[in-house]
Amino acid sequence: MAVVVALLGIPIAQAIYYSMTNWNGLTATWIGPSTYSTALSDPTFWRVLENNALLLLSIPFAIGIPLGIAALLHEHVRGWRFFRSVYFLPTAVSWVVIGMVAVQFFAYQGLLNKLLADVGLGSFQTNMLAGQRSALVALAITFIWSMLGTNTIIFLTGMSTLDPTLLEAARVDGLHRRQIFLRVTLPLLKRFVQFSFVITVISAFSALFSLIFVMTNGGPGYGTTTLEFFVYQSAFSLGQFGTGALYGIILFVIMVTVGLVQLRLIRSEDGEGW
Amino acid sequence: MTAAPATAARGRPTATVVRRRVRASTLFAIMCVIAVVMLYPFFYMLDNAFRNQSQFSGQGGHSTVSWGQLFTELPVWRELFNSTLICAVSILLILAVSTTAGFAFAKLQYRASGWVFLGVVAALMVPLQSIIIPEYVNLGKLGLINTYLGAILVYVALGTPFATFLMATYYRGISDDLIEAAVMDGLSYERTFLRIALPLSWPAIATVTVLQFIQIWDDLLVGLLFLQNPQQRTITVGLAALSAGRTTSIPVLMAGSFVSALPAIIVYLIFQRHLVKGLTMGMGK
Repeated sequence: MAVVVALLGIPIAQAIYYSMTNWNGLTATWIGPSTYSTALSDPTFWRVLENNALLLLSIPFAIGIPLGIAALLHEHVRGWRFFRSVYFLPTAVSWVVIGMVAVQFFAYQGLLNKLLADVGLGSFQTNMLAGQRSALVALAITFIWSMLGTNTIIFLTGMSTLDPTLLEAARVDGLHRRQIFLRVTLPLLKRFVQFSFVITVISAFSALFSLIFVMTNGGPGYGTTTLEFFVYQSAFSLGQFGTGALYGIILFVIMVTVGLVQLRLIRSEDGEGW
Repeated sequence: MTAAPATAARGRPTATVVRRRVRASTLFAIMCVIAVVMLYPFFYMLDNAFRNQSQFSGQGGHSTVSWGQLFTELPVWRELFNSTLICAVSILLILAVSTTAGFAFAKLQYRASGWVFLGVVAALMVPLQSIIIPEYVNLGKLGLINTYLGAILVYVALGTPFATFLMATYYRGISDDLIEAAVMDGLSYERTFLRIALPLSWPAIATVTVLQFIQIWDDLLVGLLFLQNPQQRTITVGLAALSAGRTTSIPVLMAGSFVSALPAIIVYLIFQRHLVKGLTMGMGK
């Protein structure tokens, strides 16, 4: 057993070790910490971070919409099991495939523009993937769509753990459905909301690679390049392995910070004893 | 005077029933709309896969030309084989490590086991992009780039932490008494694990298998970097490479998308329950 544990532990320790120390990557010459200040003063880097920050704006939607869907499913109307399977289906499908269809959806002759024309908004027809900001919006929409299933399932699981007598009591007390949802269900679901928040943030930072690769390849310009994609671009398109590794470390630091803040929040709330 | 409340009393349930029916139908309608939004991409994929280039660009009608093109002009079978091979070997290795390690973390006490486990959990937070460059350099030095083994090792390294975490969580749920009784009966730890713990843990094993299958099958980045040779490409990477080329006809791309998505969808439909469990089990803490 100890051998097995060692076999497991060593590669992980190694991975952490490399992620910490090998930031100069392939560059044969040692430059020292000054590479960090060089990288941080690169305007492209800030442009990329800005994209990441803007993508975070999609998170309320990526959590709010599934929360609504889960609430609907939890009513257990006819066929809810079927709907649950359908909503969860995108989770099984590669983001490569999702991105591929999304490209067609947002394309100039795509469905989106056709829909716009049908409702008389033909003048709004654009090729969303051609503009820097609109391409980012298109990416965000696809991202939200892809996260719907996962987050819905998390909330649905959460709702099934709720004590029905509590909701019954609230109903007897004369609360409306909406009040029950806001004042009873939602606070009880806090842990699940936090969990889905973490998953969504992690995905937004580190799982969009395939989507970006297929939909926009980071473009137009740097319009949809996020930090994770920038790592790939720097190292494998531009051949700057050192810079790529450096951005990788920055990404790592951001993720750890997010994780620690999250842990902090959960701890402090546990202290309050809910 | 007495009649009025009586009618009201009789009338009220009907009103409530009506309202409930309206509500139920409204909910049902909303769910159908959402279902359409979720299913539309799949419909789109299939609809356009059964067209040729001119039918796609507005002529209408359907044909199977693109399917023929897909299988004759592109190494789809080869890619499907690669995907299957890589998934199978990776998952077997992940299971071998995560079941034994998970059991050790859950049931055996040894020095610093808590810290090692913390290390495993911490490894969950490392984004792939942060380690991919050192990993690439390392495997390059070992001559493992563009070999199945190289990609498999990366997938195993990526998948094992979460799998171990899940397995440990599961084994914690098995009573200590059972394990102790087995050990008292003279079984070695190895035998206890093989004969008692392992058979008990098959639901967790199924969960790990399904999660990893979908993850590895759907992955792009690792395959893109570590399997650059078209001979070893997985189906997902092959598809992404096609789309990057922008020369392939869209109906062929759609057919390819569908072929690559199908195995994961089938696995999902069969093992849906396990997948859901795996996703939410991360909260076990």
